[in-house]
Amino acid sequence: MMPASRRLRLVAAPHLHGGRAVPRLMLHSVIALLPVTVFAVVVFGLAALATIVVAILACLLAERAFAPPSALGDGSAMLTGLLLGLSLPPALPLWMVALGGFLAIGVGKHLFGGLGAPVFHPVLVGRVFLQAAFPAAMAQAWVAPLTGARATELPATSLALPFMSPAAPYDGLSGATPLTAVKAGDTGAPLADLWLGTVAGSVGETSALLLLLGGIYLVAMRVIDWRIPVALLATVAVLGAALHGLDAERHPAMLTTLGSGGLMLGAWFLASDPSVSPMTRRGAWIYGLAIGALVVVIRQYSGQAEGVMYALLLGSALTPHIDRWTRPQPLPEGAER
Amino acid sequence: MRVFGRRPAFSGGIRLPAHQRREAEATIRQLPFAPRLLLPLRQHAGAASTAVVRAGDEVFRGQLLARADNDSAVPLHAPATGHVLRITEQPDALAGTVQVIELAALAGDTQEYTGGESHDPDRCSADELLAAIHEAGIVGLGGEAGSTHRRLVHARERAVRVLVINGIEGEPGFSRVPAMLARHGADVLAGLRCLRKVLGVERAVLAVETPDGAAARNLLEAAPGGTLPALRVLPPRYPQGAAGLLVRTLAGGAVDGHPAFAADEAVVFSLATVAEVGRMLSGGLAMTDQVITLAGEGLREPGNYRVPLGTPVGFALEQAGMRPEPDRVLAGGPMRGQALAALDRPIVKGATGFVAVAAGETADVPASMPCIRCGECVAACPLELHPAELGFLARRDEWQAMVEDFHLDRCFECGCCAYVCPSHIPLVQMFRTAKAQWRRAQARPAVEAAT
Ligand code: SF4
Ligand code: SF4
Repeated sequence: MMPASRRLRLVAAPHLHGGRAVPRLMLHSVIALLPVTVFAVVVFGLAALATIVVAILACLLAERAFAPPSALGDGSAMLTGLLLGLSLPPALPLWMVALGGFLAIGVGKHLFGGLGAPVFHPVLVGRVFLQAAFPAAMAQAWVAPLTGARATELPATSLALPFMSPAAPYDGLSGATPLTAVKAGDTGAPLADLWLGTVAGSVGETSALLLLLGGIYLVAMRVIDWRIPVALLATVAVLGAALHGLDAERHPAMLTTLGSGGLMLGAWFLASDPSVSPMTRRGAWIYGLAIGALVVVIRQYSGQAEGVMYALLLGSALTPHIDRWTRPQPLPEGAER
Repeated sequence: MRVFGRRPAFSGGIRLPAHQRREAEATIRQLPFAPRLLLPLRQHAGAASTAVVRAGDEVFRGQLLARADNDSAVPLHAPATGHVLRITEQPDALAGTVQVIELAALAGDTQEYTGGESHDPDRCSADELLAAIHEAGIVGLGGEAGSTHRRLVHARERAVRVLVINGIEGEPGFSRVPAMLARHGADVLAGLRCLRKVLGVERAVLAVETPDGAAARNLLEAAPGGTLPALRVLPPRYPQGAAGLLVRTLAGGAVDGHPAFAADEAVVFSLATVAEVGRMLSGGLAMTDQVITLAGEGLREPGNYRVPLGTPVGFALEQAGMRPEPDRVLAGGPMRGQALAALDRPIVKGATGFVAVAAGETADVPASMPCIRCGECVAACPLELHPAELGFLARRDEWQAMVEDFHLDRCFECGCCAYVCPSHIPLVQMFRTAKAQWRRAQARPAVEAAT
């Protein structure tokens, strides 16, 4: 007979796990963003680097303040910070960046209940706050790409003190972003510049190509549901092409539409965040489609040059409803055993 | 996801990493008798049987120990020649207590045993075969462990048209299917003839997963003749071997020119059950042993073993070379097996296998994190339930909503949801608790009404 002394562990089934883990998903997302991050620092220089670093530090600080210390290890605050940094104009005063990061985590994440609970993407909460509170700074903090002194100098605006009157624009270099240019009746930036990212824009939103590669990496690593960005971008492409066909004067060409603004960042990295997107696969299609349509509508018919941010917020607001509409129906009785 | 072609019969399930198949997996080794065998009178899903022996009785192998007084009970036979030490009352998970016959096996028993009268499916009538199946005390060996006789009777009442032989390994790392195909081919064919005759059905389908496709094809090609079952080889996917899911999968598509059939026109028997029916009827044997898989890194010689009923789990594992201090021992496989607190409990009819998990074999499950609403579990649930929502409700103790709005009672604890969850939420464990709480809540008004 067996010696009775063995200590056997009583662990509940299943005893296997597929290996997916939240910290790994976050890590993959950070990896997917590295190329565009490096590129942003090359193109916009110290200003971009400072923005990203400050955003990350602010998010980590807020996470430390509102969550148990172990939560820092899951990487989600780090990712939020990185995404926020990438979505802001490079020369934004750093204190604003810090405030935005702190609010993204403090309000956007923890006020809603912490990891997994947010209704809106914390990054968008941070950015919307900055947009609403400091519209002038947000509109002026663009930096023309590849300027000579970018590696050695921070723009004066970056170092502006909190609540002081805005510093003079950075040596008159502040460039209009392609979308504001289009709004103003200009033809916009050359397509190649737009896709490569050598245009004025948010820190990491400018290189559509690198963001697309990052997104493909996420899909290949099964981090995100490919249906969301695919549905979103396809909708934007189809509607964009249709509008361009109707009135080529007012509406940019399809590839310009796809390559500009925060669309790629939003589609691959923000819309696809599991917490703010529907849980079912059918829901993912509807959600992507809805955001895509909203992007086009807001961009073309409102005074806002940048429709992605608001489209994402509205899309997230739809998520609980989409989840309800697409609730899975169990297989008929007797389908098991 | 399938972009083209027929919509799969069920959309969930998971692809488990292919486990290494060793040559030894198609072999079956014989386990010696443990000195003492423990035989609970309720071995299976169903009513207990009634002892017909007393303490002190000498019994020979295959002799009736307990008879079935009830439709859902099955007779129990002595797995070894020896004598009855005592009959005790032991606690039982389902029935409160159950009688257990303790048998001292005669040392040096050869395990050879000449059975009684052989039943040739071609000469006996369907009713004679059915009676023989009952007398042999056979239960389902695919994990469900109900009386095979009863299942056949019900299937006859339903007038089924299709006999499905389930050759899909129910658990990762188990290897009874290749072993049965390789070592019990003739028994499988004999059992098939027998079940066909009892049920009066012409059509039969043998379903296996790709790794066993070649072995199944060989078996059918080498068959001496007669009507052979259609073979369906399915790409591996857990848990498509669950009988209902399998029927759904098979029913939809035409097989070898046979038309599709409706799911309720089919009855499923596991490959192991079919093989044992064939073996016992042709040898005139009773169910006194069965083939189980002993698996896990905690064993030096994992593989398939023919074990006498009543063998203590610990004894069987020692025989398979259990290394000292396993981390845990599972009754059943890694996806659905329950961890055992002690190894002195006996192997009963219908057990499929045991896993001795070595310390460090599986990474410790990290502490669970909040649900990130990723929907992986929803996509993985083969029944298309909503594990994430069930999880939210379970945390708030909302058993009623879980059952009434989200069909908790349908969950058969396959484990797919917990397997894919990136937050390591113990969903299955939560659902088990919730079911127990719900049952208790349901039972309470009845008790109150009665008092
Ligand atoms: S354990 Fe239950 S809820 Fe989870 S996947 Fe299996 S059937 Fe669905
Ligand atoms: S898999 Fe886990 S984290 Fe994802 S939705 Fe289901 S319960 Fe939540």
